[in-house]
Amino acid sequence: MLKNYFKIGWPNLRRNKAYAGISIVGLALGIACGILIFTLISYHLSFDNFHKNPDRIFRFYTEWDDQGVSKSVGLPQPFGKTFRNDYSLGEKTARIIDFHQSLITIHEGNQVKKFREENGVAFTEPEFFDIMNYPLIKGDKKSVLQQPNEALITETAAIKFFGNTNVIGKVFRLDNKLNFTITGLLKDLPDNTDRNQNIYVSYSSLDDFTNKKRESNWQGVYSGSQAYTLLKASVSVNQAEAALASIVKKVYKGRDLKVWHFHLQPLNDIHFNPELNGFADKKYLWALFFIGVFLILTACVNFVNLATAQALNRAKEVGIRKVLGSLPFQLFWQFIAETAIITLFAVVISIVLAALTLPLLNDLFESQMTFQWLPLGIFIVGISILVVFLSGSYPGLVLARFQPILALKSKLSQKHIGGFSLRRILIVTQFSIAQLLIIGAIIVVSQLHYSQNSDLGFNKQAVVLLPVPDNNKAKLQTMLNQLNQVPGVTSTSLCYQAPASQSNNTTGLVYDNRAEEEHWGVNTKNGDQNYLKTFGLKLVAGRNLNPADTATEFLVNETFAKKLNLKSADVIGKMLAINGKTTKAPIVGVVKDFYTYSFHEEIDAICIMSDYRGFSTCAIKMNMKNASTALASFEKIWNNTFPQELYSYAFFDDNIKKFYELDNILLKLVEGFALIAIFISCLGLYGMVSFMAVRKTKEIGVRKVLGAGIQSILWLFGKEFCRLLLIAFGIAAPLAWLTMNNYLQGFKYRITIGPEIFLMAIAITFIITTITVGYRAIRAALDNPVRSLRSE
Amino acid sequence: MEPNMIKITNLEKFYRTEEVETIALNKLSMEVKKGEFVAIMGPSGCGKSTLLNILGMLDDPDNGSYLFNDIEVAHFNERKRADLRKHNIGFVFQSFNLIDELTVFENVELPLIYTGVPTAERKKRVEAVLDKMQIMHRRNHYPQQLSGGQQQRVAISRAVVNNPKLILADEPTGNLDSSNGNEVMELLTDLNEQGTTIVMVTHSEHDARYSHRIIRLLDGQTVLENIMI
Repeated sequence: MLKNYFKIGWPNLRRNKAYAGISIVGLALGIACGILIFTLISYHLSFDNFHKNPDRIFRFYTEWDDQGVSKSVGLPQPFGKTFRNDYSLGEKTARIIDFHQSLITIHEGNQVKKFREENGVAFTEPEFFDIMNYPLIKGDKKSVLQQPNEALITETAAIKFFGNTNVIGKVFRLDNKLNFTITGLLKDLPDNTDRNQNIYVSYSSLDDFTNKKRESNWQGVYSGSQAYTLLKASVSVNQAEAALASIVKKVYKGRDLKVWHFHLQPLNDIHFNPELNGFADKKYLWALFFIGVFLILTACVNFVNLATAQALNRAKEVGIRKVLGSLPFQLFWQFIAETAIITLFAVVISIVLAALTLPLLNDLFESQMTFQWLPLGIFIVGISILVVFLSGSYPGLVLARFQPILALKSKLSQKHIGGFSLRRILIVTQFSIAQLLIIGAIIVVSQLHYSQNSDLGFNKQAVVLLPVPDNNKAKLQTMLNQLNQVPGVTSTSLCYQAPASQSNNTTGLVYDNRAEEEHWGVNTKNGDQNYLKTFGLKLVAGRNLNPADTATEFLVNETFAKKLNLKSADVIGKMLAINGKTTKAPIVGVVKDFYTYSFHEEIDAICIMSDYRGFSTCAIKMNMKNASTALASFEKIWNNTFPQELYSYAFFDDNIKKFYELDNILLKLVEGFALIAIFISCLGLYGMVSFMAVRKTKEIGVRKVLGAGIQSILWLFGKEFCRLLLIAFGIAAPLAWLTMNNYLQGFKYRITIGPEIFLMAIAITFIITTITVGYRAIRAALDNPVRSLRSE
Repeated sequence: MEPNMIKITNLEKFYRTEEVETIALNKLSMEVKKGEFVAIMGPSGCGKSTLLNILGMLDDPDNGSYLFNDIEVAHFNERKRADLRKHNIGFVFQSFNLIDELTVFENVELPLIYTGVPTAERKKRVEAVLDKMQIMHRRNHYPQQLSGGQQQRVAISRAVVNNPKLILADEPTGNLDSSNGNEVMELLTDLNEQGTTIVMVTHSEHDARYSHRIIRLLDGQTVLENIMI
């Protein structure tokens, strides 16, 4: 029987190539997206799931509750040690502090090799490797990192630095400050972990490296300073949280007691919690999941649409089978078998499509996702069965219910194959999904365009940023003089960071010798007297800074004055004390507000001062006409100034683009899925219009005989599709508004969703629909009416 | 002597499939005078319907001449044919060909919409013709709610609402019982007596007797003409 099903099914598909083709392409696209989304989601869910006892591993984080709650994964440096030494709740507790953009220098004979490590190094307590499952290939796990100046590196780093993995005992120098001896070789960290350093060095060397003693500093928090614990099996989270509350009571006083809080973050939350630097917000993963479901559903909808429209053509075959004694369930299975053939083709194509697209997705996410064939296989089999039954059952039931005599005489009509309205509902569903995605894409594009093209309050064009690794004043002055002589350079400035940056220092402040600190922090920007000129910042009151080596004067921004409920001019001449009153100086000028980070964040209160010790960037405003020769000169000058360092440069506007990296990824995803959804919907539309053309053959014939012109026939189709599209729009528009409004809440400075966005979306859909429907409708309208009426 | 409404000379029509060429009309010539009632008869496949389609300008001949009111229309393009058709010709089909989704009134109104008659005028004319055909009481019904005879009366109403000079009827009683059939034939005769030219394809000798003249076709050629007395 099964053989017979396929024997009939196969030629049937070959006879109806167009129908089979549309179904297969639609399903293949839908399933391919399903496979990719499955891979993407399971990849993210697999993050850090390979550690032993994952449910007992926690990361600590800090929470400040002071006029609003803010959170950081950073901890005061002594925190981890206190939890380990004063409480017996953790089986193992370890601190780890990472620094990025490290310079690694290796001496091999007379040769000196330098490497820039983007992800930097982590100063790590040895217990870290007891908590996390990052296995050692070489070295003794019990003794590594116990002594100062030891290092573990991964195989990849070993091969990068030394060309092989025989690295035990070899030495490298970190940031031209400290030497480390390699005592262990780590297996490469898997791709699905949030830890990305390739170099781990002894925690006990930290103070030597930073040249600061912070082991008893409970006030400052560096976001790279983290701690993990493996709780004892008998200890509950509540017990541990209670201990954290008691730490606060022990080390803080006064107002700080209410402000500072410490908490535990479960290991499986780390990758997903956007508040604590989690990469993959589960909200977005859910959105992807639903898009996947939608796309597969859309493809199934096409199938059902086309198959039922097709059913009439098969009436005779069904009639004969019934007369010969076929039972309804056998006819049902006959149709399911045909659906299975189509689905099988679609699945094969979809696997190929997904395999071809996966590298693009990896590029987009900078990940190394691969197909995990076992779970993916189960997923594919599951989804195939689902698709077969979802799309095969309805047409199958319709066919099986045909009455044999009517079927034989080909006297079945529309009403026997189910209402037209079901197919209408399906089309409306498809178009709602497509329009939802179109509106989403337009809004993301508009917001990104707005973020990147609004007046940011500073000049971001043609500014080159060079690192300043060494704060020797004479050296820097010489370098500036040389840079200023390069043709095309209009201005140079030494600073800590550009006006908008991902690195910000926020500190408490005392204004005008008031008794108490303000309840808000000020973002300190360190820059010399040319900072305003180089970045095009505008003064609104007072004057610019005078040249100085230490902070003797401050500039503030308008927000600063606003937070004090003062006018800009009123703060001029007042004293400002920051950094725990260690830096105190008068305010001499107010600059116009500028964006201090991306549009996701509010504009901070700012103070600008000039302090040589804090400079880490040299900004150069230049004329882009001779950019390449100028850039070459910069490199030469810089290398002469810092012969031991590795040169690098960045354009300021490129850095700003990076603030929106995640938004850009999101945009590309939404665009991609919108295109696919539109394409699948168009296939569906084409099927629908073909079906309508067949169904309306007689009507068109009659109308033409009675004198109808081509336009009025086309309008028969146009009317129907306009109505469906408008209904779909009515469903999609409010949904899109809700979803995208939610997305825009993530931006402190955002576009408003205006009617033009919806108009654009509906215009796009109409154009696409017209193109899809037009060809088939015109063909139907031009058809000779004689042919359609002859059959009578 | 009435002038010719239709004069066809050496008309040819072929149907081609991949392998076979079928001759539907083979150098056929004939005339129909204004005010005449002509029946066309012949066995299945003799070309009756093809002839009717060409006469109704729904199809064009491959060769030969077709003068309609002394205008050569054999090679008119679709638009010109449609224009001439909607002002001059009404059609009655065996299977009525009413549009299921439209009411009786709307079905009859359709030709007037396509000839651009204003709404008020349309209403008047549709009501007049429905009244004359005695189906005014069914004006808001849908075709499937009517008997076969009533449906054909609606179809005839639709055919005449534009006051065409020519009515082409393709087996108008084929789907009707004899009493309904006779009623339809009486209607056609009345229209003819009021001056409308009628060309009717039929299998029924009984129906053919209502006409003035019977043209018998075989294999796409005229084989016999009977004048009815």
